[in-house]
Amino acid sequence: MKIIRKINLSVVILFLTIFSLGVIYPLVYVVSAAFSPGNSIASLNIIPFADGFTTQHFVHLFTNTKYLTWFRNTLIIATSTSALTILVASLGAYVFSRFHFAVKKGMMLTMLILQIFPSFVGMIAIYVILLRIGGLDQLWGLVLVYLAGNIPYNTWMVKSYIDTISKSLDESARIDGANHLTIFWKIILPIARPIIIFLGISSFTAPWMDFIFPKMVLRSADKQTLALGLFSFVTDKKNEFTTFAAGSLLVAIPFIIFFIISQKTMVTSFGGAAVKE
Amino acid sequence: MGTRLKEDGSSKKQLLITSILFMGFGHMVYLKQYIKGAIYAAIEIIMLCMLPVIISKVNGLITLGSPQPELPVKLREHSIFMLIDGVMIFAVVLLFFVIYFISVRSALNDYKDFCIEKKLKGNKASMSGLLGKAFPIFGLAPTVILIIFFVVVPLVFAAGVAFTNYSAPKHIPPNNTVDWVGFDNFVTMFGGDATWTSALGRVALWTLAWAILATVTCYFGGMIMAVVLLDNKLKIAPLFRGIFILPYAVPSVVSMLVWQNLLNGSFGTVNRTLMQLGVIDKVIPWLSDPWLAKFTVVMINLWAGFPYFMLLITGTMTAISADLFEAAKIDGAGRYQLFRKITLPLVLYQTMPLIIMSFTHNINNFGAIFFLTGGDPVVADSTVTSAGGTDILVTWIYKLTINLSKYNYASVLAIMIFVILAPFAIFNFRRTKSYKEGEL
Repeated sequence: MKIIRKINLSVVILFLTIFSLGVIYPLVYVVSAAFSPGNSIASLNIIPFADGFTTQHFVHLFTNTKYLTWFRNTLIIATSTSALTILVASLGAYVFSRFHFAVKKGMMLTMLILQIFPSFVGMIAIYVILLRIGGLDQLWGLVLVYLAGNIPYNTWMVKSYIDTISKSLDESARIDGANHLTIFWKIILPIARPIIIFLGISSFTAPWMDFIFPKMVLRSADKQTLALGLFSFVTDKKNEFTTFAAGSLLVAIPFIIFFIISQKTMVTSFGGAAVKE
Repeated sequence: MGTRLKEDGSSKKQLLITSILFMGFGHMVYLKQYIKGAIYAAIEIIMLCMLPVIISKVNGLITLGSPQPELPVKLREHSIFMLIDGVMIFAVVLLFFVIYFISVRSALNDYKDFCIEKKLKGNKASMSGLLGKAFPIFGLAPTVILIIFFVVVPLVFAAGVAFTNYSAPKHIPPNNTVDWVGFDNFVTMFGGDATWTSALGRVALWTLAWAILATVTCYFGGMIMAVVLLDNKLKIAPLFRGIFILPYAVPSVVSMLVWQNLLNGSFGTVNRTLMQLGVIDKVIPWLSDPWLAKFTVVMINLWAGFPYFMLLITGTMTAISADLFEAAKIDGAGRYQLFRKITLPLVLYQTMPLIIMSFTHNINNFGAIFFLTGGDPVVADSTVTSAGGTDILVTWIYKLTINLSKYNYASVLAIMIFVILAPFAIFNFRRTKSYKEGEL
């Protein structure tokens, strides 16, 4: 019995090891490519790290390309999108959760249906509207587009959370003379912090890798984002896989570190959402 | 007719008529709220001044401009601007009526308060309502305005385009005008034109198959990993879990572009490795054979997507009460039975909404297809329709818009996505707690 179990266990470990090698293989290869000499993927050795070691791609990124500009633009876009999404979505969610008015059900159902469309379905109209308000080739134009796209789903998400906060808290504050804005700011937001943080993170991370809208809205070389820049390294015209790998590595590492730290919280908020709905 | 209100509520009719007659008059004449009334009145005056513009824009929406070959291109009527402006004007008029409705109701409410308190609120008191009764309006204003102009108007515009002939090469403004064509595009797509119809059938079927396969493989892949890691009491389980999470942590554009390069037919690392190991003689067309490419995108999506469900199912499984397992073990259930009869149904039940969400997400999963294969490889009808072997509806919409400028057909596809997805959205809506408890 014991022997069988031991064999069993080693089979499991073997299976897991092979599997994790498969999972990790492309990632290791990217890391190795980032430090390998040469340009295209065709010239790379199939064994990671067998080509020698160089940091020239990183130097190239910072000196010959606009990597820093892309990074700064993306950071500005992501930060503003995240902050504005939190503000608008949570304020809307508070109203939906705490007030009763004539068109509420209709509005909520409309938002639910709107969020099933990928926003680029309406991109021609968005383009023309941005053209009219001078938002083309402007970072704030892109932020507006993201913000509007984020609102329907996230308002719902935050609203479901605020629904679970007891209304007696609001009422006792109101007796003490607090107005709605104070209640929202001082009571609801602090209690809803887990979902607000989750919302902030998800709306912060999305713009880093979005492609369609930056491509449509941002034209000039100084307004490009990271996704556009990285994509330009591996288009059909040129294959600078190693530079692409170096650039990707610099973006992905903070993401991965952050992800591993926040893994537990993410699981609980996903799981929590599943149980609550 | 005096401007004093009676306290017994009999002046309601007077006030109602005045408020309806001109926005804000009720506030100014009867309720003595001059500032609030003036703001309302100003809004109506602006709207009245805009009336000629509104009429011309609505007219533009109906005609979409007439061909003016004699004029230079820049001065010709631009049908698309006319269409968008028309839709926007409708939104503005709608907003105006909402404000109108709100103004009349606020006048009536203030009158009701007056009947109870027997005195009129001053200017100051009525404006402080911004943080009181009017709070919902103030709080929802940014949401409503953003959604109307950046979500609803574009979508209505897109839906409208499905009924026009806005497409290259003959109907691209400003050179030419666009006209309403009724259901012509739908007829072409659904049977009128063999090439387009077969392409649509092919892409729609693949979209569904893709969404189902992508969801199911990721879900059960994640479940297997969660079960194996939890079940065997391995000391190094956290290490494996850490490794398995990595694909999820890497931004998907990056990982898809990496895979695209690794799997490249001629110079990709995967093929070169297999050849040097002597496993294969000639290259495997991972991304260039229509059927193999379909298989590949599902597999790569599994690589990228299983960690999410692994995390999720691990979370759900650890929440299942241990008593259940103990009781079943006493009854003589084996490990397989425990899984089959307890874990699986409970986990499935709890994660159902997320499975549906994942399914709808995959229907729209632009990145997983576009950055890996670009929708390629080309198949028989690709030169005409631009739909490749792995294109799903959303990537096809993108190509129709960007490469072919067939906006009319792209809009038909957008409407199709709506028809496919709306039932799922409503289903999830009806499952929400607030809907069930009748709070809405």
